[in-house]
This record gives sequence, structure tokens and C-alpha cells, in this order.
Amino acid sequence: MDYFRIFDASASGMLAQKIRMNAIASNLANIETTRTETGEPYRRKDVVFASVVMDALREGSLEGVKVVDVVDDPSPFKVVYDPGHPDADENGFVRLPNINVIEEMINMIMASRVYEANVNAFNISKNMLMKALEIGR
Amino acid sequence: MSGIRPVGQNISNQLQKSEKKSDGGEFGRLLDETIGKVASVQKEAEEAVRSLAKGGDVASAMIAMEKADLSFEIMLEVRNKLVSAYEEIMRMQV
Repeated sequence: MDYFRIFDASASGMLAQKIRMNAIASNLANIETTRTETGEPYRRKDVVFASVVMDALREGSLEGVKVVDVVDDPSPFKVVYDPGHPDADENGFVRLPNINVIEEMINMIMASRVYEANVNAFNISKNMLMKALEIGR
Repeated sequence: MSGIRPVGQNISNQLQKSEKKSDGGEFGRLLDETIGKVASVQKEAEEAVRSLAKGGDVASAMIAMEKADLSFEIMLEVRNKLVSAYEEIMRMQV
């Protein structure tokens, strides 16, 4: 059914934002993590979105979204002078993750709002379908 | 003269035709298909709820349930129209 494809598109948006929220949550959790499996401090994670054509056959093609990759942010680590830190180098500098709390907060608000917008798109298209059922009643 | 046929014969022919149609009628088939589709959507919803119990995605389960609800609603609407048409015919004065 036609409306169900709209639902699928909204659902893909919700799922993508949920995965983005995963990345933000792990970034915030690891904001001061100096040790990882690679031996480096934790690198900020970011998600890459790509559009997925859900219905190319019809006119006004409908595109959903998909998270195609979770990438490491290549920007340099923060360097703090803290000779007492167990992971400090010989000059007393500690490398901390390249995470900016404010940036993460803004991304979190974006993820939350976009999720809400997708829920609203779903609800409104559902209401449209319900209204169509009222025709002739 | 050859064009004139008895009236009764014609009607019985038509009746036979309509009887043949009724055992696999267009509308019945359509309704069958719709009900089948609704059943499959409901099965999907059931699957989604089951996967939710195993730690699946909440949103996709909710959406599967909404889809099942809406497709049922659509089928119900078709059924209501059908029944009201039937009742209309039954009320007809003969």
C-alpha cells in the first residue's frame, strides 16, 4: 500500500537517528578515555548517512536514509599538560580524545529533533490515511 | 423472424452465466487478496513484537504494529461498505 512506503521512509529516518545517537552516547561516555585497543586515545565517532531509494518505479520517488558508515574523526587530539597522569609522555603532556562537549550536545539536540520530526511525519501521514477512510462517511 | 427468441430462454442463459461467475467472482477474489495482505502485515507485526522481546528496535516494532492496525482498518472499511450494500439490497421492496 502506498502510504506504507512513507511509513518505511520515516522509519528509516528514525533508525538512522538512533544509530547517530549511539555514536554521540559513546563519544560522551569516552570523553576522557586515554586508552583504547589501538593504543591511542579514543577518537570521536561520526556517522555517514546515505539516501536509499525506496520506490523508484513511481513518480515522485521516495527516498529513505541509511547509515552507511561509522567513521573516526581524524582531527588532532587535545593535548593537556598533566605530568601526574599515568598516560602522560616524557614531557608531561597527555593526549585526550578529540571530542568537544558542546558539539556533541548540539548533535544530540539535532538527533532528537530529527527523530521527533520523523515521528511527526509518520503520524501526519497516518492521519491523512485515516482521513481518506472517512470519505463518504 | 429468426431474430425473435423466446424471452425466458435468454434470462435463464444470463442466470447460468452469473452463477458461473459467482464461484470465483471478481469482488470475492479482491476481498480474498486484501484479507491475505492484511494477514501478512499482521504476521510482520507479530514478528516485530517478538524481536522487540529479544531486544529489537522499538520504533520499527511500533511502525509494524501501526501498519497492521491501518491495514486492518482499511479492510474493515471495505467490509462495512460491502455489508451496507448487502443490507440495502435486502431492504429492497419486491
